Amino acid sequence: MSNSVSALLSATFYEPGYEHLVELVHQRDPEARRRLSSLDLSAYGPDGKLLLEHALDTRDETLDLGALLAPTTRGHGRVMAVFDARYEEDAFPYRPHHYAYVHRTGSATPALYYAVSAALGGVPDRIGDMSRLNNFDTYVFRRGPHAARYSVMLGNVGRFAPTEAQVFAYYGAERVEETVFLGPRAHAEVALAPERGGQPLTRVETKSLFRLAGYVVGRREPSGDLVLFDHLFTFFK
Amino acid sequence: MGLRKLAKRVLGVQRQPTYYLPWLTRPHLQCALVLSNVESRFKVGYNRGSFPVSVVQYDAQGAVAGRHEVTLPDAVEAVELPLPPAPGGCGFATVSGERINSDLYVTLSDGLAYTATHGRGEFIERYALPGRLLLAMVGGLLGLVGRAIPAFVRHQYAYVGPDSRSHLLVMNLSNVTNRVRVVASREGRVLGARLLRLAPMGSTLLDIGTFGSAPGGSAPGSAGTEVWRLRLEGAAWFNLYVVGAGARNLEGPLSLMHVK
Repeated sequence: MSNSVSALLSATFYEPGYEHLVELVHQRDPEARRRLSSLDLSAYGPDGKLLLEHALDTRDETLDLGALLAPTTRGHGRVMAVFDARYEEDAFPYRPHHYAYVHRTGSATPALYYAVSAALGGVPDRIGDMSRLNNFDTYVFRRGPHAARYSVMLGNVGRFAPTEAQVFAYYGAERVEETVFLGPRAHAEVALAPERGGQPLTRVETKSLFRLAGYVVGRREPSGDLVLFDHLFTFFK
Repeated sequence: MGLRKLAKRVLGVQRQPTYYLPWLTRPHLQCALVLSNVESRFKVGYNRGSFPVSVVQYDAQGAVAGRHEVTLPDAVEAVELPLPPAPGGCGFATVSGERINSDLYVTLSDGLAYTATHGRGEFIERYALPGRLLLAMVGGLLGLVGRAIPAFVRHQYAYVGPDSRSHLLVMNLSNVTNRVRVVASREGRVLGARLLRLAPMGSTLLDIGTFGSAPGGSAPGSAGTEVWRLRLEGAAWFNLYVVGAGARNLEGPLSLMHVK
């Protein structure tokens, strides 16, 4: 192992009732067999309480997140799963990335495939264009159909520092702000009203002191099945 | 000079920067683009005035199925553009606009709720006539034995369960006929191979079920989704989107998602 190991910290949210499979390394080249140097998983309740720590075998290609978390997270509802990866530049000249597949078991609602939110990636000499502001994001909604409710899930991956996040929802010209306080490793789902004053929800922005794990979430009514679980987009790219 | 660069020079390939999004329509599913320039809100030179946008929709055979001219009134207001069904039921749409510097979304709706993903800023490969003829000849010969020129290789996981699965929308981002060989394997064992023949700028929806059946012994409603490996190799530039399905498979609501 070289002495220039890079780091990647990613996070997602697990909810009971879903099959949730995470690709530990995306686009594996079977000939080269690229592997992370190490990968640790930890899971946290909404208040930041540590529920589970688990060292993963980097020879595995995918992880059944539900099988691992369901027994220990029962009664906690949403859980934040944090992936702490180390990798060598020789093996990954580009930053590795986790992708995932999620589906409500038994549901006709389609499976979703998504990129796991990379909250912290790289070490200083490999951050490159990541030195830009990456904690001011946005997402645009369609004006219909309306049988879904929307929210943003935010998680503080910081080990020691509490933070606050501002969530701005837009309804035509009107802007509604909500501030969320998140302790270390705490997380929250911020509901977005579907309309206000007759105007539909058109856009959301999130702003925080440092980068959070963040997803925009859509749930089909009345089942609550996920129809949207995606990253937001930065203003500064 | 690397082999790839040399081949590009010999074949006379030019890469034309292009932003594109996949589209997919089914009798029960509407597809609409969401166009905006919101990420340019704070970018000087990109955030003032209105923004004309041109959309070209290509069908599965690569023919232009529609052209749409849209004007975004300002940097933050989004415009929804429904894409009409076109031959083959899938394809991609290119989007151009001088001062557009924002990701754009594509949505699939069953009339009640919608799924969404975003497009990609990449390129279209344009081959000169000699290159097109050479690829057609070599690709045609290899195609006789079920092979493709492995100039570009992608790996993608596919998910196959009793009540959900992932298919692929494969898009030929070039002006040559592109033969793409897809090999599916499970736990090191090859399940099957398919040779796709994509017309220039054409696309196809690859049904993962054509490689094998869902896991046996798992009743609908139970877990037990299998992870399959797909290896795709093609002669010219191509890309793919994952198409997510639920318990009703391709007859139900679907999702689209970009890959890395």
